[in-house]
Amino acid sequence: MSIQADPADPRSGQVPPATALQADAAGFGGTPSANGASSLSVVDLTLSFGPRAILSNLQLKVAEGRVTALLGPTGSGKTTLLRTFNRMNDKVTGYRHQGDVLLDGRSIWHSGIELMSLRRKVGMLFQRPNPFPMSIMDNVVAGVKAAKMAPRNQLRDIAERRLRDVGLFDAVSGRLKDSPFRLSGGQQQLLCLARALAVDPDVLLLDEPTSSLDPMATEAIEELVRTLVPKITVVIVTHNLAQARRVSDSTVFLNKGRLVEHGDTKQLFENPAEEETARYVSGRFG
Amino acid sequence: MAASAPLARGGEAASPPPRGPGSALQRWFRNGSFIRWIGLGGALIPTLMLGFILVVLVVKAWPAILINGWGFFTKSAWHTGAQYGTSVHSHGITYLSGQSYGAVPQIVGTLETSAIALIIAVPVSIGAALVVVERLPKRLASVIGMFLELLAGIPSVVIGLWGVLTFGPFIANYIAPALSHIPIPFFQGDVGHGEGLLVSGLVLAVMVIPIIASTARDLIRQVPILPREGAVALGMSDAETARKVTLPWVGSGLVGAVVLGLGRALGETIAVAMVCGVALGQVATNLYAAMITIAANIVQNLDTVITDQLGVRTYAELALVLLVITLVTNVVARLMVRRVSGTALPVGRGL
Ligand SMILES: Nc1ncnc2c1ncn2[C@@H]1O[C@H](COP(=O)(O)OP(=O)(O)OP(=O)(O)O)[C@@H](O)[C@H]1O
Ligand SMILES: [Mg+2]
Repeated sequence: MSIQADPADPRSGQVPPATALQADAAGFGGTPSANGASSLSVVDLTLSFGPRAILSNLQLKVAEGRVTALLGPTGSGKTTLLRTFNRMNDKVTGYRHQGDVLLDGRSIWHSGIELMSLRRKVGMLFQRPNPFPMSIMDNVVAGVKAAKMAPRNQLRDIAERRLRDVGLFDAVSGRLKDSPFRLSGGQQQLLCLARALAVDPDVLLLDEPTSSLDPMATEAIEELVRTLVPKITVVIVTHNLAQARRVSDSTVFLNKGRLVEHGDTKQLFENPAEEETARYVSGRFG
Repeated sequence: MAASAPLARGGEAASPPPRGPGSALQRWFRNGSFIRWIGLGGALIPTLMLGFILVVLVVKAWPAILINGWGFFTKSAWHTGAQYGTSVHSHGITYLSGQSYGAVPQIVGTLETSAIALIIAVPVSIGAALVVVERLPKRLASVIGMFLELLAGIPSVVIGLWGVLTFGPFIANYIAPALSHIPIPFFQGDVGHGEGLLVSGLVLAVMVIPIIASTARDLIRQVPILPREGAVALGMSDAETARKVTLPWVGSGLVGAVVLGLGRALGETIAVAMVCGVALGQVATNLYAAMITIAANIVQNLDTVITDQLGVRTYAELALVLLVITLVTNVVARLMVRRVSGTALPVGRGL
């Protein structure tokens, strides 16, 4: 049994494992770490809302600098797992967890972790675009401003750079001060991606980011996701098997809150080890 | 088919009408003109009523407007004239030579008390609404919401009485002495015994808070979870999320709520009349001085001038001024909303 496999209450402030100390030295506190992408490991995680266990005894290592796809039938706990990584579940009524999630070897529930900086480090893109009610430019730099990551006079440059990164700049350059709600759905989602990237995350969580978009916009997002690695670790939830094959390096298959299989994407799709996985990836599930 | 032919409009003779033939009245109901007329009436009636009130006030006040002139807006003295002075006849009415009216203290008093009320009520109400919606468990939140609505319905004379007996003395004993240490001249002076500008403003705040808070609560409840979670996931604190996302999302509605409260504060009569100290003729020199508002003056003194031709018309002029102040603040607030929502707010939400 490894050190990490049986942690005491992760929030009790025990001495972190040795790797965590190195992560600390790399600047976990607030500034974006110099070495970019972070690794995530889920250690024997059991999570419940009220009496119901949503995730049971999950063991998973998300490789740094790669795209990992999370697959599974509806209700299997993909969103719940994703939202655990940036601690968005913490406030859900009845939420409890056992086990741990380590970001670069350090528990995300460790008392030394500042929640706001964790969330800047582990960014998220949602199922539907969710621009803020402010101008396009202010949207891009909202996180930067809130964290005071850059002086005011640099905000415009940051916004422009991030909009260029996601290929949206030419479409919006003339209306940076306009409402984002006039953009198309795909453009709005790209804007949200630019916003998430603007705070220099090391991990990016995508929860069915293209489920409300048309094929063209979907393709744009998928291409962008490929450009994010290896600088950023990407975890993407999708119901679209073809999308998982296109964008991910490795794939995780969840079913009913259990991890059924985790492997190289090509191998998992073409030669799955588990019968359940085989049924799901061939579309014969249920 | 033949029977229904008259119903069909030109070119559509082939398609049968939804129901059988009917009188003109039935048709009128069926094709929706009825609803349209009701809608039109509903839209016109408030406009006509407002116009009617304005016209009546202007007509009633006209001689006073001419006789009082610009002095009404530049002078502070309020002379009701000596009972047995010489009478003057002009502009179709008879009045005493000593009568002269300056409304500056009342106009200033109205604006000051309302400003105090809003300065206190807006942050308190919006803060309370945020806490109720986002922090409290559902059941407690609905209980508090119910109390807010009850509070909004308390008759103002009851609040006025509470202001006179309890709240005013409390302010004079505990709050005002602390405020009077603030090194701003307007905050310094004799703190009095619980009547005057500060107490009036605070009593108004108490009356306005439930109005703004319950409207704000309803608005904040409608803000979708997705943009709020987006802000949280971006590492924004609860306060930043509220300030940057939740409140702007319903910004125009909030301005409307504040305007509603302001309308109440500007026009509130009896509670202010009870706690203002009734000082006509002088602008309050500090926060604790006795003063009066337009509405309080009207309710306090209208009966004393009922046989005084210029007096009555001057009170009509006062009422007109109050109405105009209310309308102007409304319009300004609406313009503000348009500016705020010009770029920032979602389109297609009927804002
Ligand atoms: N806030 C919550 N309170 C209680 N139960 C919840 C909550 N959120 C999710 N659940 C439950 O957790 C289980 C997993 O939900 P989750 O959203 O993680 O599934 P999912 O794999 O993302 O499904 P989908 O593919 O439909 O998005 C579901 O049974 C759901 O009912
Ligand atoms: Mg989901």
